[in-house]
Amino acid sequence: MGKGRPFLEIFTYALDEDYRFPILEIFAFLFALGTFVFADFAGGYDRTGETMAYSLVSTLCGFPLMFIFVVLILKNVAYGLGSDLDRGVMQTLFSYPLKRRHILTARLLSSLGIAVLLFLGIQIFGLFLLAPDILATYSSTVFLTYAAHVCSPALLLAGLLLLLTLRLKRGGLALIIGVVLFFAGLIVSGLMTSIAYGTGSDLSLKIWAVINPNSALQAYYYHMGTSGFLFGGETWVPSFSEVLLYLGAGYLIVAVLFIVGYIYFDRRLEI
Amino acid sequence: MIQVDDLAKSYGRVVAVDGLSLRVEEGSIMGLIGPNGAGKTTTIKIILGLLKPERGFVRVFDEEPWDNPDIKPKIGVIYERAYFPSRHKVFDYLKRVCRIFGKPESRAREVLALTRLEDAHDRTVKALSAGMLQKFAVAHALIKEPRLIIADEPTSNLDPEARRELLDLILQLHRDENVTFLISSHVLPELSRICESVAIINKGKVWAAGSLTELSEKLEARTTRISTDNPEALGELIRKLEYVSRVEVDSRGVSVGVLAGEDERLYEDVPRLAKKAEAKIVGIETGTASLEELFRLAVKSGQGEDRRWEKADHS
Repeated sequence: MGKGRPFLEIFTYALDEDYRFPILEIFAFLFALGTFVFADFAGGYDRTGETMAYSLVSTLCGFPLMFIFVVLILKNVAYGLGSDLDRGVMQTLFSYPLKRRHILTARLLSSLGIAVLLFLGIQIFGLFLLAPDILATYSSTVFLTYAAHVCSPALLLAGLLLLLTLRLKRGGLALIIGVVLFFAGLIVSGLMTSIAYGTGSDLSLKIWAVINPNSALQAYYYHMGTSGFLFGGETWVPSFSEVLLYLGAGYLIVAVLFIVGYIYFDRRLEI
Repeated sequence: MIQVDDLAKSYGRVVAVDGLSLRVEEGSIMGLIGPNGAGKTTTIKIILGLLKPERGFVRVFDEEPWDNPDIKPKIGVIYERAYFPSRHKVFDYLKRVCRIFGKPESRAREVLALTRLEDAHDRTVKALSAGMLQKFAVAHALIKEPRLIIADEPTSNLDPEARRELLDLILQLHRDENVTFLISSHVLPELSRICESVAIINKGKVWAAGSLTELSEKLEARTTRISTDNPEALGELIRKLEYVSRVEVDSRGVSVGVLAGEDERLYEDVPRLAKKAEAKIVGIETGTASLEELFRLAVKSGQGEDRRWEKADHS
């Protein structure tokens, strides 16, 4: 018996379970359009075209929209997978002729992959409608900015939530912890900046940039060709290659979280 | 078909299975009985590859069950509580399972008919009653035409008629398609009706395994049936005999559990007690112990009240 068919069937089962009328996604799309209409992308800074492109995408990926996206992902990963474990649906899935890792892949493709595609699809479609010149001219900046925002908080939280959900086997609790972690991330971000101001050292910002590569990207683009803002007499302006390193480190952390999740699911998870 | 040797599994400090050994031969129907917490469900989950044993050897179809997709098409599973994606329609989900196992979609109709679920064809899984959900679990298990069906309390949510139908279906599958069954249940009369052999589990071990006759012999347990016109009064007096392990009274007589050898004493005492109870003895005969009696002895043994089980061959 081929493995492709069972995999596709479990993937489509997961899609059926995860997605209903896409009210969240429609809301997100409308919100994205609204952001374009009302946003002030210059933001008081002296902007280059790249900075403008970064600022535009960052605004689109700002708090309310990212929160909706994160909730969608967390709902699917934590609540979808957690409920399968909690209610025992996973026992039924384990009676099908697939390796455990393939079952998890089918489940994650539905819960995470589709959510990311929806988010990026809505964003890029909105960008294409309202600012096609930015999308065409600064596509690498747009790509990097989305890569940074998807890495953290979205994928980072999804990886953490995957581990939590597998360990707790309770979707509801994992979802709550995920939302708390999202807001904790916002607080920690502010805290790290305050520490940098207070100590006059950029170490805290560099540490935070590993977890949240967007902060490195922000420092890079916002201070490009400007004197930027100072703390302790110094401005932390990473080079472009450093930004790529931080982004790579961020994705490495995400990859490690998912690999640990897979290994646990494959070898240790008992239901 | 199933081979389990020296299995051990704990949950923290709680020992669920401790040195359990079991064989299920191809084409047999084996019952797994034991009190709550005896280790039945843990054993079944290890056999199904849902739990990893800390020690021991498990083979199903000569293969390791943990994360082994190759044996899945051969094993049907029926859990005590049926767990299925709730938003799917009954027939749609069964068709999906047909596709997963490479069966024609007509198989979905066949199993709906076999389990008398045709009326639930278009209902969503979450709209099914507990009994119908259990039937759906049976239908789901049958889709792949398994050679082995493992059932954990399969009749627990069914009404008497549905229970009878399921037991008939088990016997039919066993007779016509030589399907092997491993069934855990607390409903001992049902197991007595369908099982060719039983394994009695207590405190994580198989205390005895074999046919009812073999177990009665091994454990030296007998049931003496006394037919009488005054079973209540006679039963009361028999209960006071110290060598009697169990007394059950019904409208036509008294069933008495005794050890082999003790039945002779009972035969001597019954006429005296019948006279005292003003009961007329219509008949008296001794046979193999009932499954209830064996189960009860296993529980007592687990509590340290009966040592006979230690003599039994635990294989």
